Amino acid sequence: MGSRGANVLLSRASRIKTKLQSVLEAKLLEVEDVSYQHAGHAAVKDNANETHFNVKVVSGKFDGQNLVKRHRMVYDALADELESGLHAISIVAKTPKEAGLD
Amino acid sequence: MAAINLTLPPHTGTTSFLRPPSTSKTYTYTYTPSKTQSFHSTRLNNTHLSLSSLKPNNRRQLNGLVVCAVGKLSETELVPVENDDVVVPSGSGVYAVYDNNGDMQFLGLSRNIQSSVVFHRKSVPHLCASVKVGVVDSPDRAALTEAWKSWMEEHIEATGKVPPGNEKGNTTWVRQAPKTKADIRLTPRPNTKLTVPLEELIDRMVKENKVVAFIKGSRTAPQCGFSQRVVGILETEGVDYESVDVLDEEHNSGLRETLKRYSNWPTFPQVFVNGELVGGCDILSSMHEKGELADLFKK
Repeated sequence: MGSRGANVLLSRASRIKTKLQSVLEAKLLEVEDVSYQHAGHAAVKDNANETHFNVKVVSGKFDGQNLVKRHRMVYDALADELESGLHAISIVAKTPKEAGLD
Repeated sequence: MAAINLTLPPHTGTTSFLRPPSTSKTYTYTYTPSKTQSFHSTRLNNTHLSLSSLKPNNRRQLNGLVVCAVGKLSETELVPVENDDVVVPSGSGVYAVYDNNGDMQFLGLSRNIQSSVVFHRKSVPHLCASVKVGVVDSPDRAALTEAWKSWMEEHIEATGKVPPGNEKGNTTWVRQAPKTKADIRLTPRPNTKLTVPLEELIDRMVKENKVVAFIKGSRTAPQCGFSQRVVGILETEGVDYESVDVLDEEHNSGLRETLKRYSNWPTFPQVFVNGELVGGCDILSSMHEKGELADLFKK
């Protein structure tokens, strides 16, 4: 994958993946750009580009955390993205046990 | 909604209707033809039927063409409906609801008697102990009205009064359209300055109201799929909730950014219960599916 300097050339999806991978030590990570589904959405207007994503993360770090805390962990990891045009993410956050990956 | 106009019968003996003289006692019943099979009791808006001017010989003239399609009220069997399995026919016709003192509370007209009775059992169970049902076989409006009038007449002759539910202005038995609550606005008029810091206002709002949903758009017209789903879930759960439109810059200026900081949550919708952030659409959906929301709302 590109170095830090080349970050901007990577798609948001890959940036999301990288960040979540490193912060959450994900055992399973799926990131899907679904911005097209929200084109025409009030706040998106003409730029339905890399604005909405579906994210599925399986990580041991979610153990003992309720849903709100888990989602916050994901949001915190993606703070930069959220400030630069990432509009919304649908999050599925499971522990390895819950995902049947034990 | 249909409005039946009642005028005095001319001498020709054709079927016509009665207009109530202004001095006589009037009462209303409502009739609307139902659009779907189930679940609409029939209602006629603002029609005043005066039976004090209905004398037996007038009726016979009126009835030259229409034979009354139901048997006599007094000869109809009284069916108890206190268990929840209501064994009442689902055809069109007239029905009389009696309370547990045996007094008639309401005389109704319906395209689906069973569904009307079920509805009344749910909304006013203490008034529905038993019913009498008169199914009308060829249920055009004239026949239904005739049947209703004949029972009403019979009842008045027998008891001297009109069932309480049929009195003018009584809406106990009429299906009301549920009124949706208005969204909360932080300032009553557009572009008014706040006298209290916004964060404090938010804090107070979520603490003083059990369930608060900050959504994009209004609850009747959400402007985002996630917000719409959240509104749908809250409506399905039947819980009483407040909604606030974060896109409304006129009344809720600055709310979006301030709320993100307050909740430490970057997206909308956001749902607070008992002063605490429960989450956004994903979390609400997951809890709703697992049945956890109902428990949460009970606390």
